[in-house]
This record gives sequence, C-alpha cells and structure tokens, in this order.
Amino acid sequence: MKPYDIVIIGGGAGGVAALKSAYDESLRILLIERDKTLGGILKQCIHNGFGLHHYKEELTGPEYAERGIREIEGLGADVLVDTTVMDVNKENGRFSINVINTDKGAFTLESKAVILSSGCYERTSGAIQLPGDRPAGIMPAGSAQRYLNIDGYLVGRKVFILGSGDIGLIMARRMRLEGADVLGVAELMPHSNGLTRNIVQCLHDFDIPLYLSHTVTDIRGESVLEGITISEVDEQFNAIEGSEKHFEVDTLLLSVGLIPDIGMFDSLKFDISPKTNGAIVDHTYQTSIEGLFACGNALHVHDLVDFVTEEATKAGKQAKDYILKNKKRSHNTIDLTPKGNISYLLPQKLDMGDAFEEVTVSFRTTTNAMTGKFHVYQGDTLLFTKKAKFIVPAEMEKLTIKRDQLINKDPINIEFEVINV
Amino acid sequence: MTYDFLIIGGGITGAAIARELTKYEAKTILLEKENDAGNHATSANSAIIHSGHDPMPGSLKALLNVEGNKLYDVLEEELDIPLFKNGAFMVAHNDEEEKVLEKYLGRAKENGVPGVKILDAKTARQLEPNLVDSVSKVLSLPTTKVTYPWEVAIAMIENAMDNGLVFAKKKEVNIIYREDNVFTVKTRDGSTYKSRYVINAAGAYAARVAALSEEAVPYRITPRKGEYFVLDRRVQGFLSRTLYPTPSEKGKGILMVPQYHGNILIGPNSVYQDSPDDVSTSKAGLSSVKAGAELLTKNIPYHKNIRTFAGVRASSTHGDFYIRESLQKENFIHVAGIDSPGLSAAPAIGRYVVEAIIMKKESLKPNEAFNPIRKHVKLFDDMSESEKEEAFKMDNRYGNLVCKCERITEGDIVRHIQRNVPGDTIKGVKKRSRAGAGLCQGGYCEHQVMKLIARELGKDVTEVDYFSNHSNILKEETKVKK
Ligand SMILES: Cc1cc2nc3c(=O)[nH]c(=O)nc-3n(C[C@H](O)[C@H](O)[C@H](O)COP(=O)(O)OP(=O)(O)OC[C@H]3O[C@@H](n4cnc5c(N)ncnc54)[C@H](O)[C@@H]3O)c2cc1C
Ligand SMILES: Cc1cc2nc3c(=O)[nH]c(=O)nc-3n(C[C@H](O)[C@H](O)[C@H](O)COP(=O)(O)OP(=O)(O)OC[C@H]3O[C@@H](n4cnc5c(N)ncnc54)[C@H](O)[C@@H]3O)c2cc1C
Repeated sequence: MKPYDIVIIGGGAGGVAALKSAYDESLRILLIERDKTLGGILKQCIHNGFGLHHYKEELTGPEYAERGIREIEGLGADVLVDTTVMDVNKENGRFSINVINTDKGAFTLESKAVILSSGCYERTSGAIQLPGDRPAGIMPAGSAQRYLNIDGYLVGRKVFILGSGDIGLIMARRMRLEGADVLGVAELMPHSNGLTRNIVQCLHDFDIPLYLSHTVTDIRGESVLEGITISEVDEQFNAIEGSEKHFEVDTLLLSVGLIPDIGMFDSLKFDISPKTNGAIVDHTYQTSIEGLFACGNALHVHDLVDFVTEEATKAGKQAKDYILKNKKRSHNTIDLTPKGNISYLLPQKLDMGDAFEEVTVSFRTTTNAMTGKFHVYQGDTLLFTKKAKFIVPAEMEKLTIKRDQLINKDPINIEFEVINV
Repeated sequence: MTYDFLIIGGGITGAAIARELTKYEAKTILLEKENDAGNHATSANSAIIHSGHDPMPGSLKALLNVEGNKLYDVLEEELDIPLFKNGAFMVAHNDEEEKVLEKYLGRAKENGVPGVKILDAKTARQLEPNLVDSVSKVLSLPTTKVTYPWEVAIAMIENAMDNGLVFAKKKEVNIIYREDNVFTVKTRDGSTYKSRYVINAAGAYAARVAALSEEAVPYRITPRKGEYFVLDRRVQGFLSRTLYPTPSEKGKGILMVPQYHGNILIGPNSVYQDSPDDVSTSKAGLSSVKAGAELLTKNIPYHKNIRTFAGVRASSTHGDFYIRESLQKENFIHVAGIDSPGLSAAPAIGRYVVEAIIMKKESLKPNEAFNPIRKHVKLFDDMSESEKEEAFKMDNRYGNLVCKCERITEGDIVRHIQRNVPGDTIKGVKKRSRAGAGLCQGGYCEHQVMKLIARELGKDVTEVDYFSNHSNILKEETKVKK
C-alpha cells in the first residue's frame, strides 16, 4: 500500500484539530481512533464549560466534540475508527504503524510523519500506594464518570473523593446530582489541584467539604469498600497522629493525576520528560524522532480543551509543513528549562533553524499566589517580566517569547516570583 | 453418591493433590469457598520455585521443595505452564554474610540442590549490573525459577477435571462429621457431600477446618503477612535473576523477583497477625520493604510501581509442613502449615499425600485413561503471524484490542471466560489473561471486561464481581434501557 504522508493517532479533540490543520488536498492523511466514534474523553464530559476560549461560548463536552468533527467531515481525509494502534516503529525514514481491528485483523500501515494525540490515562490506587485493604469500590474518577455518563450505572451511594483534580470535582457534583451522598474531597497539597471555577461550582455550591493537606491513611472492606480514614499531613506529607477522621463509604474515587497515554509507542524510544511524562518536543511539536509529533493530553495534561485544540492545530500545521516544505530540523537548538516555582515548560526546545517569529510557552507553577511575576531569562540575563494574578498550579499558564527578544544561544528559563500569597 | 476423596481448598496445594488423585480410579471432589481457584496465598506470593537451599536438611520442606522444583519442569511439558528459568543469587556484603553463604552452600548440597556455587562480586556484577556496590560475594542458585502461581493451580484443576475431578467453588465447608466410616461435609450454602476421605488443604484456614472435625488440632496457624511492590513490566532488563539477601531468623528477607511477564516484585516483609485474611498493606510495612531492597540493587525504578499488595503465609506452630493422617479421625488428612516453599513444593506435596499416605492404606488402581496434557490458551499477541491470520479468520473478535497495556484482545478474553475453570470475575480475567495487569491497571479496559463477562455468561453487568463474592462494581442502573 502507498504510504501515508501523515497518520494521526487518536481522534479526541487533539487528533481532530490536528487533522483539520494538517489537511491539504495533495496529502494522504489518516486519522486512527480505537473507539467507535471520534471525540475522545469529551464524550463522557456531559457538563458544560468547554469552548469559552476557542468558540467564545459555553458548550458541553459532546457539543464541543461535535463541532470539531463537523469541521473535518467534508475534508475527504481517511478516518479509521474502531481501530487501535498497537505500536509504531521507524525504519529507513518511514514509520510503520501496526494496527488492529475487527475488519482486517492485525495489519501494518506506513507513513512519513506521525502525530501522537492519544490522550491520557488516570493514575491508579496502586501507583499512589493507598494503604489498607483493596476491596471493590475504589476507582479512578474518570472510570466512574464513564460508567455513569456513557453506560448509565451508578458505582455507589456513599462517596468520598481523594484528590482535587478536575475530574474528581466534576464527579463530586455529578454523583450528588444522581442522589449519592458525597462526604468530602481530600487533597494532599495545601491547595486544590482543580480549576477555581470547579471548586466553586462543584463543591461550594453543593456544600461538599474540601479537606486540604489531607490524605487517605486507611481503607477498610473485605470484598467491598466499607470505610476510609483520612488524616491531616504535615509539610513533609506525613500523616499527623490524632487528626484521623473516619467515613463510612462504599465508593472512593481517585482524582490523583493524569498521565500521557503513550506506553504503546515505547518501541519508538523518543525522549520523555520526567516532569510531564510526555515527549520532549521543540516548538514545532516534534519529538526527538524526526517526523514524530505530539499534542494534546498525550504530550502534557491540559485542563482546558480549548488549549488542546490550539496546540493540536499548531502541531498539525507543523506536520503539514514538514511534509510539504520538506522541512528538516537543524541541530541549532536552545533549551527551555524551568526555574524557581515552575514545574515544567513546553516546548522544551526551540529549533533555531526554523524561521519562527514567536513561540508560546505553556507552563505550570508549583505554588499558588494572588499576585506574582514571571521572569524570563536567557542565561543570566533577564529578557522580560510579566505580571500575573490568581496563579494556581492547576491552571496552565502561557506566555509568548519573540525571536528578536533572544540575545544568544543560552538556555531560556522562566521563574515565578510570588508577591502576594 | 459417596466420593472417595474430598479436598477442602482450591489453592495450589489442593489443586496438586486433586490432580495426583485423578491418576487413579477414584471419585474425587475439590471444594473452594471463593468464587475462583487460587484466590488466597496462591495468588499473593513471590512466585519463586525455590531451589531447596533454604529448608533444614531432613525436613519435609527440604525433601518436597527439591523434588517439587524438578517436577515443575515436568509440569511445564504436561500443563504448558509459564516457567521462567532465571536462577537466583543470594548476596553477601561482608565477611560475616559470606559465612552465611558458605552455610547455605553446604545446606543446598546436603538437600541435593544441583549447580550451586559461590561467585565473586565481579562475576556477579557482570551478570547483574544493578547489584549494589557493596556486594562482596553471591551464592548462585541456578535451579531457582519463577512461575505464574494461580495459572499453575488453575491448570492443575482443569487437567484434573478433564480426568474426572469435580470442582465446586463458592462452597465454604462449615460442618464435618464421620459416621460409619464415611464423612459428611456440609457447606455454608446448604450443600452436603459424602466422602470416605477428607483432605484439608485450606491454607491459612487449615486449623479452623481441622477444628470442624477434631477436638485437639495438633497445630496452630500463626498467619504471617508479606507486603509487596509490583513494578510494571517495562522495567524488564533491570534484573534477570531473583535476588535474596542472607536469611535471618525472620525468614528469607526482602527479595527482588523478576516475573515471567517482565514485572519485578519487591518484598515480602514478615508481620505476624491474628487474621488469616487480612491482606491490607501499610505505609510502615512498605517502607520496610524499600529498606530491605536497598541491600540488593541500586536505582530501583519505583516510579514504575503499578500496584502494592500483601499475602498471608499459613505458617504453623509445627514449623515444618504438617502432612499426615489425623491421629484422632481416621481418613482425615492434614495438609497444613503450607507456608513457603509451599508453591515450590506443591507438585511434590500432591505426590506425597497420595503415595506416602493414601497408598499406604488403599490399593488404588491407576486411571488408564489419565491424560496428563493440558494446553494453555494462547494469546493473540503471542501467536506467530500465520497463527494470527488463522485465528482472526476463525474469530474476528481477535481484532478488538481490549487491554492496550498488555495487548489482550476480545478473542483472548472470551476464551478465558469460557475455560473449564472460568474467569468470570474481573480479577479472574486479569489473572488468566493479564487484561488490566498493566500500567493503567484496568482504567481503560475494566468496563469492557465486565461487559464481556456479562455477555458471555448471560448475566447483568451489576452481577459481575470484581474479585471476591458479592464485590460487584456497578450498583444500580440510572437510566431506562434503550
Ligand atoms: C473528565 C474530564 C473533564 C474535563 N473537563 C473539562 C472542562 O470542563 N472544560 C475544558 O475545557 N476541558 C476539560 N477537560 C480537558 C479536555 O477535555 C481534554 O484535555 C481534551 O478533550 C483532551 O483531548 P485529547 O485529544 O488530547 O485526548 P482524548 O480526548 O483523550 O483523545 C485521545 C483519543 O485517542 C484515542 N486513542 C488512544 N490510544 C489510541 C491508540 N493506540 N490507537 C487508536 N486510538 C487511540 C482514544 O480512544 C481517544 O479517543 C476535561 C478532561 C477530562 C478527562
Ligand atoms: C507473602 C508470601 C510469599 C510467598 N512466596 C513463596 C515463594 O516465592 N515460593 C514458594 O514456594 N512459596 C511461597 N509462598 C508460599 C506459598 O504461596 C503457599 O505455600 C501456597 O500458595 C499455599 O497454597 P495452599 O493451597 O496451601 O493455600 P491457599 O492458596 O491459601 O489455598 C487455600 C484455599 O483454601 C480455601 N479454603 C479455606 N477454608 C475453606 C473452607 N472452609 N471451605 C472451602 N475452602 C476453604 C481458601 O479459600 C483458599 O483458596 C509465599 C507465601 C506468601 C504469603
């Protein structure tokens, strides 16, 4: 079979936006999605709050997904649903993509470029070493969301939530609306890990308590969950004796982190950032392997779908240029590395051989602040400072660096100075 | 109907005895209280087939461990079980520990363990580059292997069923009495069985079961918990051999054990407790495991940890395995105190119970029709290209990838649900097929596995158990059916 120019893996918001921008009549492009329909995680997010940036109106997840899908429908690009990518390898400048479906079984496709937009998965109880028994009734919040919103089943009636990630907050409200008792949300950090609007709309509005600096220290239940204990933690995250609170619950939902879902592409051996758990990319969203691009939650976890769309649009455009303009990457790169109070920067590199005028850097802080300043350095030289308000680690920050602001080849750092907590 | 033999406990011990008995003309039944075989110690251990270097010479443990280790090679042929022949090192860091190596070298030789020798640090490090720098010598134990324990137990039961065994699960024995040379055995759900012999292979519950039949049980079970970390199979290559520290009074110590599928287990610690079924983990326990593993390798990739768990050893006050006919009730056979190396010894325990105890009293005729062969369910991902094509032509459900982490298809899962001893719980499917055993721990595939079990067995999804009896994940439907 004739090789594709671009294969996009994953048809969520990211893959769909990447397809739209990568599309060109002269290119053979294929989007592969393992589910029966496109849309990805949005399909189970039946709450609203999507699209405020991108469409300037408030949509539900499925509505947002639908819009994107309609925008690519007429294009005439190939879309293969109900098909899973098993792994990807690169040989002699070509990607070979092993896929499987019930129509043809296992087969291999070839492509000149690949965009990874396979989304993320949820961190589990085992990974965070939850202590105590291991009965039924403990699951990631997104799984419960799927059971409820897609399958129409309730996983329990007395619920506690560990972790204040957005999915946990959304599920606190969702379970309450479904008639379940939601007894509280415990968060290890002294600040919430979810969007402020979700804290207000999902917890405050429903009188669901949020226990900051708390974690689950015991789980009881022989076959099904019967109860949990939470404790306050000190600055080293050790449980403080005497602070225990017990709750009788049949369900413990975990919202303790999302991780880019790229394990299936291990054989490609691209460089991975220990901070994002996703690929290390340059400003063209190209990974350490030429022709391999990444975007969306498969690259780093986003809190807003609008930013996924924005990022994927850029990645798609870059992949198109890579093929059409036969762009080669240079080895003339500048690193972007986080400094004080910043957990990661993305992209991690600028390819100076590319004629870009400016680059938008996404990042997260490690602390929250009412007011503060972002300082952008190159080497020891301060390039510029930007004021910031209402900064929380849960919300991705962005700032733009212009090419003509750069003064040399030294690494670029961003630092967050807290002015008012 | 009166059975000849009734075995209580569907762990590896009961399974091995059951299979051994089906080699003879006899009516045998195996009762298990859980909803699956091998849900207790048999599914929460280190999975090592020890060489036999550890037990005291002359003990039953020594005898049966060394013989069991050899029998695993036979089982690999007959039952097509996973067996990883990776060998082991016991590591020493100083003169004192080197003396311990010498002691175990001697003991291993006395127990008849082949191939043991002491290697210097340089040779050891060439073979295992991640050994801690302070290692000074190692005892090499090349016959040490690793298996997939519950699959062995299930394979033994399936093969025994092919040869006439009756296996009944969800049968918790709670009454045993003997009249006119026949035992009556009742289970909590109201079933009654009659049998000439009762064989007690109830693991950590053995003393409780024995107490149903006799007044003065000659041993007490002192349950001993062990906790573990499980690292994802993507750590494969970090370590090839099982690593033991030098043993202490508390037992074999914290080990690192590369598993058949590439995962690494780190553990177990050793905590005495009253309960035979408390398998909870604790922060303190897991910290002690970490501390122990520091004596073995450096830079342990804990960030690849996907799970923690614990198992309970059925240690007894007797110390050695307690395998003999009751002194109080004729034809009641105790198979108790089966803690480590119980997994390694199991095939030999099966033989010992039949040949050294039962055959002394009975003259059983060989079952001429006995077929020792069982084939495992080959996963799509393990098939050759031509096998894949063939399999897909027969069943296009092999084209639906359900578990992406471990690459398990619908075709694979359906076959595991349909086995002789069916995988009919979410963990039952996981144990058999590994769907859900990977990085995301079922986050992606659990709902699909649940629907497949319901579909194949004609159940409602709310009736599908997660693990133990009555552990359904879905509680109630919120919407009207479409
Ligand atoms: C529960 C939840 C609530 C959220 N709430 C909000 C909100 O209120 N407002 C907001 O703006 N944003 C919200 N977000 C964020 C935003 O919706 C997501 O970040 C965004 O939709 C992710 O898009 P994606 O394309 O990167 O990933 P996904 O939507 O996860 O898409 C990835 C796709 O790849 C497919 N795939 C993966 N692996 C393979 C493979 N090997 N082969 C084939 N296909 C594959 C998957 O099936 C999936 O369809 C929420 C996210 C979640 C999870
Ligand atoms: C932490 C740990 C690590 C270990 N590591 C190793 C190792 O590496 N190598 C090794 O050789 N050995 C090891 N062992 C020992 C080995 O796991 C056990 O010896 C072996 O699994 C025991 O099998 P079993 O069938 O006797 O017990 P179990 O597997 O516990 O089976 C007993 C069964 O009896 C059933 N039962 C109980 N009461 C009743 C009743 N009233 N009615 C019906 N059924 C009943 C239970 O449900 C259970 O399924 C380890 C053990 C532990 C706990």
